[in-house]
Amino acid sequence: MPKIDQSVLNDKESIVRDLKKFTNSINIISDPEGITPYETDALSAYKQKPMAVVLPENTAEVSDILKYCHKNNIKVVPRGSGTGLSGGALPLADCVLLGLSKFNKILEIDFENRCVVTQPGVTNLSLTKAVEHNGFYYAPDPSSQIACSIGGNIAENSGGVHSLKYGTTTNNVLGVEIVLMDGTIMRFGGKKLESEGYDLLGLITGSEGLLGVLTEVTVKILKKPQSVKALLLGFQSVEDSGQCVSDIISGGIIPAGMEIMDKPLIKATDNYAKAGYPKDVEAILIVELDGTESEVNILIKRVEEIAKKNKSTYLRISKNDEERLRFWLGRKAAFPAIGDMSPDYLCMDGTIPRKKLAEVLKEITKLSQKHGLRVANCFHAGDGNLHPLIMFDSNVKSELKRAEKFGADILKYCVKVGGVLTGEHGVGIEKRDLMCEMFNDEDIQQQLNIKQAFDEKSLLNPGKVYPILHRCAEGGKMHVHKGDTKFKDIPRF
Amino acid sequence: MPEIYSLSSEHEVADFIKNCNSEEVPIEITGHNSKSIGRLIQCSKSLHLKNLSGIIEYFPEELYIKVKAGTPLALVEIELDKKNQELSFEPPDMGFLYTGQSNKGSVGGAVACNLSGSRRFRAGALRDHILGFRGINGKGEIVKSGGTVVKNVTGYDVSKLITGSYGTLVALTEIVLKVQPKNEESQTLLVNNINLKKALNIFSKSMQTSVEISGACFYPAKMSKFFKLNDLDTTTSITAIRLEGPKISVVERINTLKKLFDEYKKTISVLENYQSRIFWKNTTDLQFFNNSKNIVAKIILPPVNTDQFINKFENEELKYVIDWAGNLIWAEIPENDSVLLRQLRTEVTKLAGHMTIIKAPNHMRIKEDFLTTVDENIKVLSLKIKESFDPKKILNPGKMYSGI
Repeated sequence: MPKIDQSVLNDKESIVRDLKKFTNSINIISDPEGITPYETDALSAYKQKPMAVVLPENTAEVSDILKYCHKNNIKVVPRGSGTGLSGGALPLADCVLLGLSKFNKILEIDFENRCVVTQPGVTNLSLTKAVEHNGFYYAPDPSSQIACSIGGNIAENSGGVHSLKYGTTTNNVLGVEIVLMDGTIMRFGGKKLESEGYDLLGLITGSEGLLGVLTEVTVKILKKPQSVKALLLGFQSVEDSGQCVSDIISGGIIPAGMEIMDKPLIKATDNYAKAGYPKDVEAILIVELDGTESEVNILIKRVEEIAKKNKSTYLRISKNDEERLRFWLGRKAAFPAIGDMSPDYLCMDGTIPRKKLAEVLKEITKLSQKHGLRVANCFHAGDGNLHPLIMFDSNVKSELKRAEKFGADILKYCVKVGGVLTGEHGVGIEKRDLMCEMFNDEDIQQQLNIKQAFDEKSLLNPGKVYPILHRCAEGGKMHVHKGDTKFKDIPRF
Repeated sequence: MPEIYSLSSEHEVADFIKNCNSEEVPIEITGHNSKSIGRLIQCSKSLHLKNLSGIIEYFPEELYIKVKAGTPLALVEIELDKKNQELSFEPPDMGFLYTGQSNKGSVGGAVACNLSGSRRFRAGALRDHILGFRGINGKGEIVKSGGTVVKNVTGYDVSKLITGSYGTLVALTEIVLKVQPKNEESQTLLVNNINLKKALNIFSKSMQTSVEISGACFYPAKMSKFFKLNDLDTTTSITAIRLEGPKISVVERINTLKKLFDEYKKTISVLENYQSRIFWKNTTDLQFFNNSKNIVAKIILPPVNTDQFINKFENEELKYVIDWAGNLIWAEIPENDSVLLRQLRTEVTKLAGHMTIIKAPNHMRIKEDFLTTVDENIKVLSLKIKESFDPKKILNPGKMYSGI
């Protein structure tokens, strides 16, 4: 992490006094107890109290605060709901933590232009709730959608199970109001489909809070499909389930969602959620199809044929929405179920080419033996996003270190087979030191140069995403002890 | 005339740019020279990437294709078609507009211009379909970003920044594009002889249903005549809505729309698969402005403002076609009418949109801005971004804005 600026810490009192000029004084927290809830995001293995927390109420306040910090060389860490899993909102000891929780209003619902203008602190799910009376919804659905904010979704380019068909956040955002570190207020995009010039909206989406602070967001809304059905398929090998996914896609079908779970996970979730999964299979595949009723029925038939061709030994088609949701129930219980089976686990987040699934799972099994730790796997098969859950016991000396080494080895292997380090959790601080597995010095320097264009003093969320020293180290720090995650009520899958 | 360099490997391109950087020599970068978008620039060296061509890998089941930047787009489409796949953003064939002949140009050129066809409002733009790239920045360094997978948050999404940057940030060498299965059936619901306001209302109403339309355009009466399709009434305005998917589903959805727009039943007709595909190809390829000698502009507005914009210019010499369900106006104005051009630009800004000049005589490309940006902060930030890739500003200098 960047070196602590002692002179800033020495000036803490006067800085807090100054900040009070820019916002209501009750929106500033600097006592040790008050700032404790902000010391970590959902990657609770890392904790650091900030110098002070500021909760501005409008764009002008954000601009004034950033301008002040820029002028006085004070680091700023922006934070949405704090549900991120890679430490992207982890404070620094000498930073001002800029919380956007008071930006919690939906500003305009525009059905005519099929968009919603909202403040960034609004949760993902409440966007859908606000438009569903008219049959609309907001497509990206990260599993933490009940609590995560739309501003955070943009920072992490959040996905969800439907991203193969409907894209991730970047494909569903139309515009933003953003404040740069020097206080400049700008707008990228708007209620129209495209902007001219450089695609600044595309660049800031997924930039993990390093380029600017969002103060307003415009998202696209879609009409809900007429019909949604799911198939629950069982296979005697993971290879067969993976081949089935490839054949579905080669057959010209793009399902709304496709998920694979391996045997350890089926066992864990079935005990936990009683979802009624078949017990005599090595892998299950859930395929969800949506569209008009007749289209869904045709596609179900086609998927059924493809599954049979791939030696599926179990097949059930949801008869109604209740049954469809039951298919998902076990899958959604994956994380807490593992929490019940093991005192601790690490959750990894690599993306791989779909066809490499069997190879990667084999390698994970090998690594599991090498590191002497159990692992269970769930896989967003549609888009290649793999979440191995590494089980360990932090009370046993060296297990955490071994688990981290195991996690880093998995991510390195993902990159080796043509995948990437993170599909949806972000790099943050968790995978920062693995960036050199994917990028060489020139690639990283180019990205740091882009950062300079937005924030020449590197004061906004420094120490995240890009390694300060280019070296490879262990990654995989989503450590869950006794199922005790931060925001543990949020379903993760 | 600039010296022309046709290079055929990434390594050669990197060395070439490195040398130009050390000598501070500006370079014009072109692919197949199929488009003349952007400000006219003068460089002593012209770098052609036509020979940097070929498909590197194509995995239909992985839904991506990786190609060298100079690969002809037409070749890519032929390869995809063999596996019943396509680029679902429907890259337009701009050759018809510029020369009256088909010339889809290179993949790199398409990425540099971020052009998308009629399905854009449903399937996204080209920028939504680029997964990764390799290219050479202004210092001659090979830089890359993204990958071959859809879900990826590893570092900044530089692929998006590159898309639509008109070759001012990198000379592209390699591109990964997402591909999609081809739709089994295409049918088009036509409503004849209604005005723009009613057409926009039809678009909006269709989008409020679950019918999932994938094309929605409007031809005023004077623009509809160029069509030579059997099933098309070309004496009046045409309002067209496309539906795609499995045949049974398309038929069902067409019937839903027919019922919804029952008030127009006397003028409703349907284009079947073959003619429907021709109709949308002609629309996407701007064949209504085939080999135009005039100024052609692409105007993008929030769809609710489109009618107001067109009304403002009712009495002017303006030809137009509406696409993207009302989000896009293709406009043609006389080649020397810079007064009308400025009026369009002023009005589009007032209505929260923007205008890009896609074709103009060379004398105009020197003095006129081809983008509308009025926000000085965006220009300042854009300049900083340009400098972060190309500090000596040697790649397509001035192509986007003066100085960028």
